[in-house]
Amino acid sequence: MKQPVQSRQLTLDRIRAATPSAAKDASQLAESYATLPRTYIRRGSLSAPVRIELMIQRLREYDAEVVECAPAELPDAITTQLAASGRHQFVTPPGTPNEWMITSAWKITGLEWTIDHDLAIDEIEKAEGVVTAATCGIADSGTIVLHHTSTEGRRVLTLLPDWYLCVLRASQIVETLPEYFSLCQQPPALATYISGPSATADIEMTRIKGVHGPRILVVIVVRDDK
Amino acid sequence: MTHAGSERVSLDPRFAPPFPQAALIMLRNPQLRKNVGHAIDVIQAKRGKLVVEKIDWQELRSAASEIRFHALDNLGAYLEQFEARCTAAGGHVHWATDAAEARQIILDLLRQENATEVIKIKTMTSAEIQLNSFLQSAGVSVFETDLAEIILQLGDEDPSHIVVPALHINRSQVRVIFARTMGLKNLSDDPKELTNAARTYLRQKFLTVPTAISGANFLVAETGTVSVVESEGNGRMCLTLPRTLISLVGIEKVLPHFQDLEVMLQLLARSATGERMNPYTSLWSGVTPGDGPQNFHVVLLDNGRSRILAKDKERQTLKCIRCAACMNTCPVYRQTGGHAYGSVYPGPIGAILTPQLMQMKYAQTLPYASSLCGACYEVCPVKINIPEVLLELRSQVVNQERRQAGRFFDLMYLGLRIANLIFATAWGFHAAQRMGRIGLRFFTRKDGWIHALPSLGAKWTQTRDLRGLPKQTFHQWWAERAKGSK
Repeated sequence: MKQPVQSRQLTLDRIRAATPSAAKDASQLAESYATLPRTYIRRGSLSAPVRIELMIQRLREYDAEVVECAPAELPDAITTQLAASGRHQFVTPPGTPNEWMITSAWKITGLEWTIDHDLAIDEIEKAEGVVTAATCGIADSGTIVLHHTSTEGRRVLTLLPDWYLCVLRASQIVETLPEYFSLCQQPPALATYISGPSATADIEMTRIKGVHGPRILVVIVVRDDK
Repeated sequence: MTHAGSERVSLDPRFAPPFPQAALIMLRNPQLRKNVGHAIDVIQAKRGKLVVEKIDWQELRSAASEIRFHALDNLGAYLEQFEARCTAAGGHVHWATDAAEARQIILDLLRQENATEVIKIKTMTSAEIQLNSFLQSAGVSVFETDLAEIILQLGDEDPSHIVVPALHINRSQVRVIFARTMGLKNLSDDPKELTNAARTYLRQKFLTVPTAISGANFLVAETGTVSVVESEGNGRMCLTLPRTLISLVGIEKVLPHFQDLEVMLQLLARSATGERMNPYTSLWSGVTPGDGPQNFHVVLLDNGRSRILAKDKERQTLKCIRCAACMNTCPVYRQTGGHAYGSVYPGPIGAILTPQLMQMKYAQTLPYASSLCGACYEVCPVKINIPEVLLELRSQVVNQERRQAGRFFDLMYLGLRIANLIFATAWGFHAAQRMGRIGLRFFTRKDGWIHALPSLGAKWTQTRDLRGLPKQTFHQWWAERAKGSK
């Protein structure tokens, strides 16, 4: 058995020997990288209403449920969705905005809720639903981006519950994936890109919604653009 | 019995039969061909629609190809950068020169954790190093969590595709496997019910097994980020619930910058499953306090890759992002399915990757498992010129073979040497043409075709007819024409 340090050096030596044309230093490397062609579409061309409409259409194509509401209607919209979900136990991240009025809304409708202050895994597993915010929406592919901030929750929170309600503001929706990446000047340490509910096509390429992640994805698009 | 009632072909290139022999076994299995054909039709139809709608598809391909080439040209610098950033973020990076070393590193890490069970996300790299059987024999129980991988593991089947590894198995075969191994007598063959059975079967494992193994789709040098692209959520389970996570990754998978993902992610899902984006993409760098595994290891695997890197024409093989578009479009794969390739990497990419990762002597027939139609090159999202590499590998096979002792009087090589002499001079060539015309006249039928030749020539006429030689060669016609015009 080779020593670990030797294997590292051996591998790097082999790579260096195989790549004689490699950049000699960091600045040469950056220069060479800067010349790579990027003629693909970076910025979208749709107007805001069309862009938001596209996002909603894409989400629906993934079998996500989408509802729209004005900013002032958000607490009501959340309450309506919670009531319609047929579920009773919910979790929510520690940074959930007060103006969502989840606490009062849930008390009124008689639902149980827990805030994730370091909940144990089996407590999250007991929850039937979860409500979070998001970082960004990408209309072209109907993708919801989570950077797992305090309003979006740690990764497991949006994974174990079977029903996931995501609140996305219209002003967070970009048209293309490159537009999202241009917003990431400081890349996140954690990110999850969600495009529809968990799914599989492993048996005869038949798409089945809901394997291990949430089976139901509901998105409230808050029309803060109007 | 679940091998679709057919003979099994080893996916270890050292023991697998030559491709033509293995292909014949598959071609005689109508159920397998039906299953593969159906799955391919569905993927191709979906992919076609989504590629057409992407108006900058060719520009994305060009960017992806150049990014991958640049990353490979500077692989040493980018791997060191990845290692530094991943380590700074609390991860541990290990280097393995070959399969045996990678297996041992992983086993040692598991022993440190006193792990007796491990959950796994689908990774072809672990199949390449035959990790599961190694861990099982060392006393660690391995639980695959991707639906297709569960079907294969419980049914004791082999993968036949790199994205949908169980596409050769149909729903009623899945039902039989699940009913037997999960003790579910009343299970129907409804894919929804079968999927639910898998969900229930795995839920407790996800919540209790503290150690997971994954592969990775991309590493990012700039940020030390690792990325896993998936559909079911089993990946997210393995990436977030356990205490310890080990990611086994080929050294070629590194991208220079975080932003490069904007190109790769637009190409990958469309090429692989015909979706605009796969349901879940996870990105993480090192360890995040309070979220996910607090003990994170990356095992960087060479296992022949640096050898491929050293060769000009072959280097492009390493650009591969494992989308499987090449096998979905390949007329050969469509007929034979994946097992005929005798490797965990089937299809056109397997035909060039396997002989290079292994010593050529174990996979000599794979470079010939292609009609060189070029469809694979056309669909490849990172523009790997697979036919070019196939031809290069064929020439290596021939060069190796003709030097072998005992090959001197081999009819083919003898014939080629004679041909070499004949074609070296104009008079030799003309004389051969004249003799050929006289000789072939006996076999040419009235319709102008040769339907049967004796001895060596039969190898051609067994499968196709040969047009008889014309009465006049082009040279003769040209000379006469010149005379006539004077």
